[in-house]
Amino acid sequence: MKRAMFVALAMTLGSAVAAPFVYPAAWTAEQNTANKRGGEFRSYTISDFKTINPFTSAEAESIPLRMGEGAGLFVQDPRNDELIPYMADGAPTISNNGRRFVVKIRQGMKFSDGQAITADDWVSTFRIHTDDKVGSNFYDNFFLSKKPITLKKIDNYTLQFDFPQQSASALVTMSYAPWPDHIFGKAYREGGAEAVKKLWTLGTPANQVVSPGMWTLESYQAGERTVLKKNPYWGEWNKDARGNALPYLDRFSYRVTPDLNAALAAFLAGQIDTFGPRNADDLAQIKRAIDAGNLKATLMPNVSPQASSQWIVFNWNKASDPDKQRLFRDARFRRAMSHIANRQAMVQLALGGLGTETYYSVYPIFKSYINDAAPKYRYDLAQASRLLAQLGYTKKNAQGYLVNNAGKVLEFNLSTNAGNTVREQLGRIFADEAKKVGVKVNFTPIDFNNLVGQLTAKGDNRPFDAILLGLSGGDNIWPFGSNVTPCGGNLHAYNNPTSGACLTPQESLMTKLYYQGDATLNVAQRRTIGAQLLKTEAELQPIVYLVGGNYHVAYNERLGGEYPRELMDAYYLSRNTALTFIK
Amino acid sequence: MIPFLLRRALQAIPTLLLASILIFFVISLAPGDFLTPARLNPNISTEQIANLERNFGLDRPLWQQYFLWVGNMLRGDFGLSFQYQQPVLGVIWPRIVNSLWLVLLITVIFYAVSIPLGVYGAVRQNSLGDKSVNVVLYFLLGFPSFFIALIVLYFIVQARFATGWDIPVGGMRSEDFAELSPLGQALDVAKHLVIPALILAITDAAGLTRVIRGQMLEVMRSDYIRTARAKGVSERTAIWKHTFRNAILPIVAGIGGTLPGLIAGAGFIEVVFAYPGITPMLLNAINTQDLYLIAGFTMITTVLLIIGNAISDILLAVVDPRVSVA
Repeated sequence: MKRAMFVALAMTLGSAVAAPFVYPAAWTAEQNTANKRGGEFRSYTISDFKTINPFTSAEAESIPLRMGEGAGLFVQDPRNDELIPYMADGAPTISNNGRRFVVKIRQGMKFSDGQAITADDWVSTFRIHTDDKVGSNFYDNFFLSKKPITLKKIDNYTLQFDFPQQSASALVTMSYAPWPDHIFGKAYREGGAEAVKKLWTLGTPANQVVSPGMWTLESYQAGERTVLKKNPYWGEWNKDARGNALPYLDRFSYRVTPDLNAALAAFLAGQIDTFGPRNADDLAQIKRAIDAGNLKATLMPNVSPQASSQWIVFNWNKASDPDKQRLFRDARFRRAMSHIANRQAMVQLALGGLGTETYYSVYPIFKSYINDAAPKYRYDLAQASRLLAQLGYTKKNAQGYLVNNAGKVLEFNLSTNAGNTVREQLGRIFADEAKKVGVKVNFTPIDFNNLVGQLTAKGDNRPFDAILLGLSGGDNIWPFGSNVTPCGGNLHAYNNPTSGACLTPQESLMTKLYYQGDATLNVAQRRTIGAQLLKTEAELQPIVYLVGGNYHVAYNERLGGEYPRELMDAYYLSRNTALTFIK
Repeated sequence: MIPFLLRRALQAIPTLLLASILIFFVISLAPGDFLTPARLNPNISTEQIANLERNFGLDRPLWQQYFLWVGNMLRGDFGLSFQYQQPVLGVIWPRIVNSLWLVLLITVIFYAVSIPLGVYGAVRQNSLGDKSVNVVLYFLLGFPSFFIALIVLYFIVQARFATGWDIPVGGMRSEDFAELSPLGQALDVAKHLVIPALILAITDAAGLTRVIRGQMLEVMRSDYIRTARAKGVSERTAIWKHTFRNAILPIVAGIGGTLPGLIAGAGFIEVVFAYPGITPMLLNAINTQDLYLIAGFTMITTVLLIIGNAISDILLAVVDPRVSVA
């Protein structure tokens, strides 16, 4: 009952002007009932920050990204994946056949320098992101099938987005952080892209940095520490379920550690508050420290699968070797390869038992898009042999390898990026299992940059047989990659001719379903399309998905306000920083 | 003196030009470029990659990139770092300053340890003290300094657990640095510097101590020292004024090489101690193929090497009257 009330509260914000956004009580397992305030969340980063400028930043973890936390028109509710109004003052008014969104902005929000956040800030930020001379990492977000999205200011607190076509991710696209027009917009109008790029480098004094979100910069020391402090104005429109201003914390700091081992050491010594354990060894060290009483921390192994995938792709564009090309283009061959992949052994040996078997391009944590009707070609060497026999490989030579009628051995080269020990082990396991059925896999780890060059090469004769690699990124709104699934995308890695044309009817269907799902606003309908797409893809088996690691959570006991266990996963992570407090 | 410096400056031009060509093209020989990882990002489109290539100048032929770089460098602009999107000098300068503090301290400890030990070893050759110093130094010479640093780190952590003392295990400043008084701040930085500096200086000192000891022994046996002693100069003068001054000539000749070393940072010890010096940044730049950052920094060290050599020659002339720079 209480939970329902808070949801209702959060959802009906639009009714009152300048009403604050109320964080649902259900978003935290531990309520801050004692109203603990202040303190510092001590985090870590293994590579130093490169910039404070939100338009030139390209890092996964960056100062602008962290500062902009808690700024965006809509926010995803971890309970049901739905996007709820956040900086928006209510649900958008949708017209023009689902392509026009008119959004009212919550009034009374301020930047960390006290200036009001208005429509101009969104418009300027949009302009700068979409200027190709700026080189923003967000550039692609504002295009749909290469057609631009447009944004217009209706009045100071109303925005109008026009999409070239319907888009499932429309609300996500709109949810970028608005950066101050009085700083970036001004510079852009006066000096264009170059002026914007010169702003907010690491040499900029912290007091000149202005943030719309929860945090703003307090200090930056190259290679050592970055400290963010709370934006006092943010708490005016962000309240907890009991009406208290958020965040509870005063500071969020990053310590720069040379690598993850050093970060683990810092966590074990109690110098940082959180650590993402990678493997069984990390987990064991943390457990030992907890058991020995040296560390007061919470450790949760196997919280969910990671939002990433490891796979093997076969090259369909191999004009120089027609035999291999024919083989790689045959779905039966690729299914046989999936039957060869001993995923259980991979989880046990390469991931120390801490992983999840993967059969589809959609990460296993995006459960609502996993379709049980889609086939899984599980580990089954007998089945693999049967499929290979259908391809004419029935005889074995003296070395035990399958040969065709012409006496040619069934073999191919498989490469991965050298230095990634997990992938090197996955490849070895695959090659060993392949040998059991008589397939010769020449497995060689090579330089990462060479590998990416081969994978993304275009043309009719691309320079590889098979590659073992991984991808991560994407959201659970429409969890198929825009340049992975449709033909012609640069990561449509199995078939990438110069023309970008599809080769098989299944590919054409997948491309069609991808765009259809991407343009479907209705969640249930989109999931149905996703199920069909997943089934088509699984049958075609252009990429053999192997395994993924699991996500583990470890945090110091002094932190409170984490998500309830059922909301934690690799996508939403373990807590909302706004609700985190120091006990 | 002035003609010497002019001649050196002239000679430096072809050297630097050749160095710049080598640096630039060797770095570019590596497969892939700064944008390679972005090509594997499912959220970045081909068009955006092309935009970035154009912005970074990576779409142009290599020779054009080279001439652009050299041209800008002549105007004092070392180019933009890809990952920081700001001028190379602005990125590396704070790091160089940090490294400079550490390396200066290392240099001081280095000479303060190796000169007395080397002289002592020569004067008391084969004494128990000499032998024990030799054993310890051989031991240190045999281990890479970062390995010793790791062992030391282990003991520091154990000591921290056992005593609760706040012995720094890395970084350059404590977390409460901003609240300290200026004197407190200086002490705080010194506290962080001293352990890595000691480790590196002492492990490195092994080599120099051996050289000084050998040189001293050789000079002490020479005729003029015997003559000086026969004339009745005190032992102290014989050793420090006559022997030592002649023995360190080869070392002075090598001092020029330490100038680039001063800004090149303290190497892996910076990585092990998470010290915000130049090495961790440079390693990261190599990893991400941040072309202008690596090339710019290498050029600066090359220039310093040339200046350092000139200084070496001048110093040598000061110490050894037989050498003249004119």
